[in-house]
Amino acid sequence: MNASAPVASGSALHLRPLPDRAGWRAVGEITSATCPAWERTLEQLPLHQEFGCRLEMSAVTFVDVAGVSALAVTAQLLPPGRHIRVERPPATLPRLLEMFWPDLPAIEVVAR
Amino acid sequence: MTATHTTTEPTAAPEPFAHPALFYRGEEEYLDGTVPFVREGIKAGDPVAVAVPEPRLALLRQHLGGDADSVHFVDMTEAGRNPGRIIPRVLRAFADARTDTHVRIIGEPIWPGRSGVEYPACVQHEALINLAFQGRDLTILCPYDAERLASDVLADAYATHPVVVSGGIRQPSPSYAPGQVVAEYNRPFPAAPASAEPQGFGSEELPVVRHFAVALAAQLGLSGIRLDDLALTVAELTTNSVVHGGGTGTLRVWAEDSQLVCEVRDRGHLSDPLAGRRPATRDQRGGRGLLLVHTVTDLVRVHTDPAGTAVRCYFGIGSN
Repeated sequence: MNASAPVASGSALHLRPLPDRAGWRAVGEITSATCPAWERTLEQLPLHQEFGCRLEMSAVTFVDVAGVSALAVTAQLLPPGRHIRVERPPATLPRLLEMFWPDLPAIEVVAR
Repeated sequence: MTATHTTTEPTAAPEPFAHPALFYRGEEEYLDGTVPFVREGIKAGDPVAVAVPEPRLALLRQHLGGDADSVHFVDMTEAGRNPGRIIPRVLRAFADARTDTHVRIIGEPIWPGRSGVEYPACVQHEALINLAFQGRDLTILCPYDAERLASDVLADAYATHPVVVSGGIRQPSPSYAPGQVVAEYNRPFPAAPASAEPQGFGSEELPVVRHFAVALAAQLGLSGIRLDDLALTVAELTTNSVVHGGGTGTLRVWAEDSQLVCEVRDRGHLSDPLAGRRPATRDQRGGRGLLLVHTVTDLVRVHTDPAGTAVRCYFGIGSN
């Protein structure tokens, strides 16, 4: 199942499951307009996978604090020992995590 | 957006929160007024933080000797560069982690060298401390350099502190009125430069106006992580305008001295004087927008009334 949230003026967020791993690939911007689709995707993450799940974000150009909040809150609901691996997000994502959720081991960020 | 400055004046009922100002003249009076405060706290088992500008920070550390190891030191010129983030990121960050005991903090947010643009936000911060910590078991001692600060700054300190210590004498302030101070410094801004053309936006234009602001800021010299901070700030302020400020707004960006200024105007009314000054809990989904703006900018000024709200955010060009 794919999800997308087109926004006026060329801004949009497209989300689709990763073909070979547990997780999703995101393309576009995570803003107030696209955050509902982002939150729905986070709710669908296979959080109980033994090896965790992944969010591939190399094609995400912007994520606002509400988008990072949704991710951080989701991660805090994980069972002990599980984690979300966030691959190549915009630099603001780890910066906001450090600012508001220092020491959140359930999120592993692989930098761009 | 929201902001009537309907600040409630703290009542005269017994109040565990103490917020004295310390007027000092020279190094000796500074040390006489601060070192015993710290040492008494350590002796009583109180957590103690010192958030003052250098070189006072080094001075206190030196004179506290071994007691300095029991104190949390913060350089206020960095952590408190934007006075709007001092309550959530400095004072409550320390006090909220220690709610089972009395806490002592020395906080010096106003020092010679604060600019005229910064000063209204500094005074409003001092006034809002009384509202933010009402009922808390906490003492925040605020030193004022009475030799070098202007007389009207000291007059404002009487209005923002219920008690003033001057010349070693501790007296109730005869002019304590923090709510009035917040309202008095809620002043319209000087006009923006004519070259800073307004960019109108509604919900459809939020990405466009953010891209416009980032591109112009880059042309004006902002770079690196500060450009990211500007993008986050514009996203939060313009989204607030769309959601809470009447649905539309205008944005302007310009350079002023060595700073990049970003202004957002809308038809909303900021009615909560502590908006953006409350820490967010880790499991809280929303409510970080203005807190983020205060955290990543060097200064936030707000003018709000029933006709609308204007927010100006400042970013040092060339700073990290």
